[in-house]
Amino acid sequence: MKVRLSFQARIASVLIMLLLIVVFAVFLAVKAATQDAVRKQAQAQLEVGTRVFEGLLEMRGKRLRDAVQLLSTDFGFRDAVASADSATIRSVLLNHGARINASDMFLLGMDGTVMASTVAQIPEGSPFPYIQALRDLKGKNQSMLIVPLQGQPHLLVESAVMAPLPIARVVMGFSMDGDLAQELRSLSGLQVSFLSIVHQQPGQMISTQPDPLFDSLRSVMMNPPGDEAQMTEHQNQSFLSKTLRLGSVSDSDGEVVALLQSPLDQAMQAFAPLDKTLFWITVVALAGSLLGTLLLARSLSRPVSALANAARRIGEGDYTTPVVMERSDELGLLAGAINLMQSGIAEREVQLAHNALHDPLTGLPNRALVMERLGSAVSSQRPVALLYLGIDNFRGISSSIGLEGVEQLLRLISEQLKLPLRPGDTVARLSDNEFLLLVHNAETDSAVAVADRLQRLLVKPQRIGEQDIAMDACIGIAAYPADGDSAAELLRRASIARQDASQLPGRLQVYVEGRDVAHQRQISLIRDLRQAPRNGELALHYQPKLDIRNGRVTQAEALLRWQHPQFGSVSPAEFIVLAERTGSIQLLTNWVIEEALRQLAEWARRGLVLQLSVNISADDLVDSNLADRVSALLKLHRVPAEQLIFEITESAIMREPEQSLKVLNRLREFGISLSVDDFGTGYSSLAHLKRLPVQELKIDQSFVRDLDETSEDAVIVRSTIEMSHNLGLKVVAEGVEYEHSLRLLEHWQCDTAQGYLISRPLNAVAFEAWIARSQLPPRMTMH
Amino acid sequence: MRRLAVSLLLIVTALQGTFASAATLTAEFVDARGKPLADAVLTLRGGAQPAAGELKADMDQRNQQFAPRVLAVRSGTQIRFPNSDQIRHQVYSFSTPKRFELRLYGGTPSDPVLFDKPGVVVLGCNVHDWMLGYVYVTDDGWFGVSDAKGTLTLDQVPAGHYAVTLWHPQAPDMQPVSGGDIDIPAGGLRQRFSIAVQPNADAAPAAPPSSAFGDAFHKAAHE
Repeated sequence: MKVRLSFQARIASVLIMLLLIVVFAVFLAVKAATQDAVRKQAQAQLEVGTRVFEGLLEMRGKRLRDAVQLLSTDFGFRDAVASADSATIRSVLLNHGARINASDMFLLGMDGTVMASTVAQIPEGSPFPYIQALRDLKGKNQSMLIVPLQGQPHLLVESAVMAPLPIARVVMGFSMDGDLAQELRSLSGLQVSFLSIVHQQPGQMISTQPDPLFDSLRSVMMNPPGDEAQMTEHQNQSFLSKTLRLGSVSDSDGEVVALLQSPLDQAMQAFAPLDKTLFWITVVALAGSLLGTLLLARSLSRPVSALANAARRIGEGDYTTPVVMERSDELGLLAGAINLMQSGIAEREVQLAHNALHDPLTGLPNRALVMERLGSAVSSQRPVALLYLGIDNFRGISSSIGLEGVEQLLRLISEQLKLPLRPGDTVARLSDNEFLLLVHNAETDSAVAVADRLQRLLVKPQRIGEQDIAMDACIGIAAYPADGDSAAELLRRASIARQDASQLPGRLQVYVEGRDVAHQRQISLIRDLRQAPRNGELALHYQPKLDIRNGRVTQAEALLRWQHPQFGSVSPAEFIVLAERTGSIQLLTNWVIEEALRQLAEWARRGLVLQLSVNISADDLVDSNLADRVSALLKLHRVPAEQLIFEITESAIMREPEQSLKVLNRLREFGISLSVDDFGTGYSSLAHLKRLPVQELKIDQSFVRDLDETSEDAVIVRSTIEMSHNLGLKVVAEGVEYEHSLRLLEHWQCDTAQGYLISRPLNAVAFEAWIARSQLPPRMTMH
Repeated sequence: MRRLAVSLLLIVTALQGTFASAATLTAEFVDARGKPLADAVLTLRGGAQPAAGELKADMDQRNQQFAPRVLAVRSGTQIRFPNSDQIRHQVYSFSTPKRFELRLYGGTPSDPVLFDKPGVVVLGCNVHDWMLGYVYVTDDGWFGVSDAKGTLTLDQVPAGHYAVTLWHPQAPDMQPVSGGDIDIPAGGLRQRFSIAVQPNADAAPAAPPSSAFGDAFHKAAHE
């Protein structure tokens, strides 16, 4: 709604602004035109009026002259003038002047001397001041003279008195009064003002204008701007004014100035209705445009908001309601486009949803979908079994059959996985080589049955390209509700079971309770093991090895101990396996070798010289740098190589026999002794051992622990000792716990014994103390 | 009074005649440019005065003009003002030597007007402003007015020495001027006089000019 209002407002404001601009422009144009017209009209009026004025004045002058001429021919008048009696003459002048309303009368002699006068200013006997101007009139074809007389403009006309020859001149003056001005005004249509100016002193103002304007008028007339029409302002009233010099006799005699004015304001007044009309036109147009805008905006904003609603619907996921708009304009097109977009989005969303929940290669549900289904089964408390299936030899397979072969194989597997399932059960692909099957309404037992069937199906070799592929499928099983009550937990436990399964010959494992705790511990150990050497959590313990023949201890085995900050002492059996699995065993071996050498060096400084055995793992044997590193360390700690024995298991050597042999030979070259550990647990034979550069053989403690004369172990141990001796190898018996075992070994001429009977593994300090104690008598009293 | 260059050229022609017997003076008037001057008045003073008898003269009005235009008379002359026109005139004069007025009349008024003082009397008609006539009143015994050719002939003038006075309506300020002294032999004298006259400006108003309307009216009236 807000948007619509502002949209409307915008359209309205634009329209109204445009309208106002147009109206304003029109107004200006009209104003300018009217002003121009008024001015022109006033100008024309002024010009016409001026001509009329001049004509009228001239006519009046002629009329007056004619009247005076007529008067001057009056016989009685002439008779009186001829009498030369000035009193008579004056009375006659007054009498006759009154006949034609003259205000001033003079009789002049032919030489211009005043013979009689009714004006005191111009006494009899004096020369008439305007005589020359009067004489000039005839030449200028004028009939009258306008002069300032007694502060007022006067028309002077003259006539000769003929008797019948001219004997005198009679001059009559007519004051130009308000009546004359009014008369001129009524005929010319102009405001008329007269002002006489003598010696720059203004006389009385005679004007048709109202009194308050006189001062202003006077200033204009005192300094006439010129002949051209001028705009003048008087008391805020505008006039087009023209100044006329009516009579300029001479500087000393002064002049009469007429001001003709055409009022502009009045003319402007005539156009006032036009302004009003314009105003109303504007108002009506504004109202009309507002209404039009409203309608237009409505016709736009309604469909726009309908479209907006449609867009919002689509945004909310409603792809079924189409926009209905019966329009053929752009909005109609937009509606069509939105409908198209809607169906397109719906289509693609279905596709996207499928892609999001399915594996693109096999078309199987992916982890997200299977987890969702598992979650829904759990939440609705339906029993369900999870079969976590992994193909262990997948990497080997993929490297042999290539990418296309793998894809083909995966599609095959996905088909096979579906075979033992009922409708409603789910097969999902979790990763490259891992699948998860959900079997509904299944207990662990029936799940195992399904797993068994699957394994049987998968173990059959598949023909891919030119190769027959047999898959090694491990299956871990977890079931709801037995093994967990959340989807994530169930999946994790199934995964643990599958990892456990991979260690088992049957390749099938049902989740064992607590395995996940153990699993967590393993993860922690794996994580912390890398930090252990740096954190000083590792230590070497030393177990003495007794030379059976002379009863002395000149050898010991270094055994690694880990004091974990959280789990406490961790058994080597636990963490060595993890280290070997995660590849961090070399880290440990390095630390052990270095620590052993450091300890040997320390002991050597105190006079304790021993031969120390250190366990080397299979990973160490493939490290070609091992020999160099050990050599460097021996030199660093100045320990003779003869003091070091490396113990290697049979299986370690067997993993990479050739590489191992190389490493072993190099070590042997330094003078390091090599010992075969845990002999008897692997499949190696003595004949095989012959090829190795070993000097010693350690019989596994499982044969030694419960050794007595009658057991099978006794045969093995005794024959092993004999054969070893025949091969030139020394023999060490591990796990000697009982006195009679030691005696048997001595009897069988075993070289060295190691076990709790002699001493448990001791830390460096305890070991040193133990040696000191036991070595005091040069020979141990063991029997 | 301005001193005008008056050249008085005397061409003395010896005429036959005795001293005691009457002689004839023939005067020719010209203006400054040598053109013949009509209406010039010449008076002679000196010699024997003619006998004083009853002095009478007529100043006619003909065709709305005074006839003659200039009339010279001796002081004490009774002048009649017969009106030869069909219309009436009202003759007047405000001149100092003789102020008079003849009321509007036709024909010949019963009483003549006595001009008893010398001087110039300007005549006018009150109803016809353009009518202008002059009566030159003189005390001299011999006088005359030049005709249209500018010639004046005085017969029966006794030979002798005379002072000549000249006048013309257009003389400066309308004042008479001296023509010098002349000796008129018995055989008569023919002499040329030159009078400086002013152009006829500022004089009496002319007869009303014909106007278009007047012409039209006149035409219409006569067709």
